[in-house]
Amino acid sequence: MRLDIWGVRGSIPAPGPSTNRYGGNTPCVSVIDANGHLCVIDMGTGVVSLGTAVLQKALPIAQDFGAGAGEATVLLSHGHWDHIQGFPFFAPVFIPGNTLNIYGNARSADRVEAVLEGQMNPQFSPIYTLKNLGAKINFEGIREEQCFRVSNLEICSMELPHGETTALAFQIKEQGKTLVYASDVGYPSGGASNAIIEFYQGAEVLIHDATYTPEEQEERRYRGLSSYLEAAAVAHRAQVGKLVLFHYDQDHSDDIVDENVRKCGQELERLGAGQIEVVGAFEGMTLEI
Amino acid sequence: MRVRFWGVRGSFPVPGRQTNRYGGNTSCVEVEVPGHAPIVIDAGTGLRQLGKSLVRNGNGLIHLLISHTHWDHIQGLPYFSPLYNEGNELQVYARQPGDTHLGAVFAHQNDGPYFPVPLESLKARVQFNELLEGQQFAIGNVHVRCTRLNHPWIAMAYRLDYNGKSVVYCSDTAPFRDILLEHEFIAAPPSAGVPLDKMHEIQLRMMREKLVDLCRGADFLIYDTQFTPAEYEAKPHWGHSTPDDAIAIAREAGAKTLCLFHHAPARTDDEQDAILATYKHLLRDDDLELVCAAEGMVVDLAEGGS
Repeated sequence: MRLDIWGVRGSIPAPGPSTNRYGGNTPCVSVIDANGHLCVIDMGTGVVSLGTAVLQKALPIAQDFGAGAGEATVLLSHGHWDHIQGFPFFAPVFIPGNTLNIYGNARSADRVEAVLEGQMNPQFSPIYTLKNLGAKINFEGIREEQCFRVSNLEICSMELPHGETTALAFQIKEQGKTLVYASDVGYPSGGASNAIIEFYQGAEVLIHDATYTPEEQEERRYRGLSSYLEAAAVAHRAQVGKLVLFHYDQDHSDDIVDENVRKCGQELERLGAGQIEVVGAFEGMTLEI
Repeated sequence: MRVRFWGVRGSFPVPGRQTNRYGGNTSCVEVEVPGHAPIVIDAGTGLRQLGKSLVRNGNGLIHLLISHTHWDHIQGLPYFSPLYNEGNELQVYARQPGDTHLGAVFAHQNDGPYFPVPLESLKARVQFNELLEGQQFAIGNVHVRCTRLNHPWIAMAYRLDYNGKSVVYCSDTAPFRDILLEHEFIAAPPSAGVPLDKMHEIQLRMMREKLVDLCRGADFLIYDTQFTPAEYEAKPHWGHSTPDDAIAIAREAGAKTLCLFHHAPARTDDEQDAILATYKHLLRDDDLELVCAAEGMVVDLAEGGS
C-alpha cells in the first residue's frame, strides 16, 4: 500500500512561516491499495490538498473521481473539529456519481451522519445540508473493535482513550504488511494497556500522536494526547518497524518538532530499540509499505 | 484608532509557503482605541494569536463583533485563550439568527463530539448580544452601526466611529445586482439574460443604498474581494465580491482608503500581489487609496495618519 500524508497538525490549522516544513494543516492521511482503491483517514484541512491531487490524477487511484466514477473509504478517528473540518472542502464530494463510505467513531450510522450534518448546518456552512453535496455518502458506525474488508485492505479498529472521550485507532493490512494510525490517544500515567500494544504489534509503520513534550504532558495529561516519549514507549513495546510522529501541537514550530523527533530517537536508543526508525510526519510525505 | 489584521483569508485556513506573506488564517480584525477594551471583528483562526497577545496584557473585557457565523468567521473562538481565564468577559455581538438563539449557535461549536470544552464550562463570562439590521449602539466611546449584506444566511457590515475617525468592515457580500442571497439554498448561478425578480431587484437596491450610506466618508473600508471578475461570473451565488465591486462602493461613499480582504484560499501571495498591482494602477489618478490586508498589518487612523 501507498501512504500519503496531507495534514499533521493537532487542534487547529497553524499557518505561518514557522510551520512551512512539517505543515500547518490538520490531520489527513491517505492509503491507496494494490487495486488503486482510495482510503482516507481523517478529514482535517489536509484533505483539501488530497482532493486537488485526486482530481488532478496525481495519485495511482484506479477510479476517475473527476468523472464522478470514484468510490472512496473514509475512516474518521473521532468527531473533533480538526478531524472533520476539511470535509466540506474535499472537491470529490461535489461531483455527482462519486461515493464516499464513511466509517465513524459512533454507536450508529445515523449518529455518524448527524455529526457531519451538524457541520453543514446553514448557520455555519453555505452548503446547508449533506443532501446538497453531489456525491452519494454512506455512513457506518464503528463499535469498539471491529474488522472489515474494503477492496484489498483488511481494516480493524480499536477505541482508545482520548481525554473524556475516545478516538479510534486503525490497523490496515495488505499483503502481510501493516499500517497502524493512532492519533489523539492519551494513555493513563501507567502507559498503554497490553491490549493496545497487541493492536500495534509488529506494524511496519505506526503513525502515532506526539502532540507534546514530556514537560507539557505533565500539565496536560487530562487532555488525552501523547508526548513523544509515550510514542517511543509504545513503538518499543509493540516492536514496530518505523515510528511516524504525528498531530503536533499548534504552537510547535518546525524547530521544536525537529527537536522532539531527535529526542524521540534518543529515547528509542535508551530503550534498546535503536533499530526503530523515527520520523516526523510532514505534509507531502509518501511511504510505500 | 488602530486596525490590526490577525486573519485575512476566506473559506478555510491555508497553511503553506504560498501564503506566508499575506497569511493563511481566516478572518479576524482588531480595532484598538486608546484606553478602551479591545474590539475584535470576526473570530476566524486568526483569533488564536490575538488571544495569546491579549492574555499577555492581563485580563479584562473584550468585545467581539461577528459578521455572520460561517465557520471561517467563528472557528477560532474555541482556541481563544482569554476564555480560559477567570475574570475575563467576552461580549459577543451578532445578527439575531431568526430561527434560534445566538447563544445556541455558538454553543454548537463547543459541544460534543466536536470540542472537549462546552461553552458553559469556560472560565470567562461570555454574553451574547443579538442585533437587528440597522441597529446603532455604543461600545464604550465607540459608536457602532450595522447593515445587512448579500450573503447566504445573511451577513452584517459594521461601522465603528471614534473621535472623528471611522472604520467599516464589509465581509462577506456579493455585489447587489445578479442574485438576492438570503435563506434559500441556491445550487447554481442564475441563467444569463433572465431578468431579476422585481421585488428582489428593489431589495438589492435598498441594501446597496444602506451599505453606501454606512460607508459614507469612511477613513478605512475593509471589503470582501475574494473573487476576480472571472471567478465571480462562475459563482455569483457564493456571496462574494470582486475588487471592482468594492471600488464602486468605496467611490460612491467617498471612502478614503479601501482595503482588499477575505482572500480566496487558493490565492497565492504572488497572485495577490498581481491583483493589488492591477487595481493600484487602475486607481493611479484617483483620490481613493488602495491597500491589501495581510496578517500582522497595522493601520493607524490617528490624526494625520492613514
